[in-house]
Amino acid sequence: MENDEKVMTGEESLRIISEMINRTKVNIRQGSFHLLFWGWLIVFCSLSEYLLFRLTGMENPWIVWLLVIPGAFVSFIYGYVKGKKSPFHTYADMLYMWTWIGFFISAIVLFIIMSGKMETVAPYILMLAAIPTFISGFIIKFNPLIFGGISFWVFALVAYFAGPSIGPLAVPAAMLTGYLFPGYMLKRKDHDDQV
Amino acid sequence: MTRFKDLDPMLHSQLRLAVISLLVSTVSAEFTYIQEQTGATAGNLSVQVTKLKEAGYIEVTKKFRENYPQTLCRITPLGRQRFIEYVNSLKDYLNPEKQ
Repeated sequence: MENDEKVMTGEESLRIISEMINRTKVNIRQGSFHLLFWGWLIVFCSLSEYLLFRLTGMENPWIVWLLVIPGAFVSFIYGYVKGKKSPFHTYADMLYMWTWIGFFISAIVLFIIMSGKMETVAPYILMLAAIPTFISGFIIKFNPLIFGGISFWVFALVAYFAGPSIGPLAVPAAMLTGYLFPGYMLKRKDHDDQV
Repeated sequence: MTRFKDLDPMLHSQLRLAVISLLVSTVSAEFTYIQEQTGATAGNLSVQVTKLKEAGYIEVTKKFRENYPQTLCRITPLGRQRFIEYVNSLKDYLNPEKQ
């Protein structure tokens, strides 16, 4: 783009505009880290809680969920460092980030409200997690994440109605469809886009 | 071709249009990133960025990150407004029957 004073046609102008705008869309696609990190962390916590309850009869097996506190720090630091290093920030990035921060705050409020009955929190947290996942799918135009968000709503119903023997497994199942599957698809897409 | 006279001359230039198009969907972008995406030389880009800045279409701030200078560009409300007007004029030019 050296010959700056060259007369452009309308088509050339449109091509430049669309080409440049499209180049700024890829930034948030590199967010597969958070989906995979949280997907595996929550699978671990939910399965540990289930197994501790089933096998040991532990009174407060939900205590394993305290791992999400250091997890939140890891996620925050990773996002902060990545954000600082990024050579550009789009409005979609901001929307994406604030949607997830909003979810995080809502989740904390929910945990406080439900602190006396943590064993029943799963359907509510899944229902809540569906919203940022669903919206994020639309922001980055990535269907697996949109379907992942929808799957959270389905598994929220499963967690609520399926009873104590199957219900607790709704959370790890939801992580597979909502975070891990879209996360690995996104990672592969990033890799393919970079090649 | 007559309608092209209506197009903002500040934007109707390959490199300046590319810069504004990049900045319109970003909160901010680094000079080096803009250079990489547009394929322009640093000197040419610097001249065009200065023109856009002097016209009030963009803001340029200089910072330091990890001891290296960093030049950040962001579009101003005026720049955004002029870009929208430019795109609308372009649409009129390309689809005159829809007017």
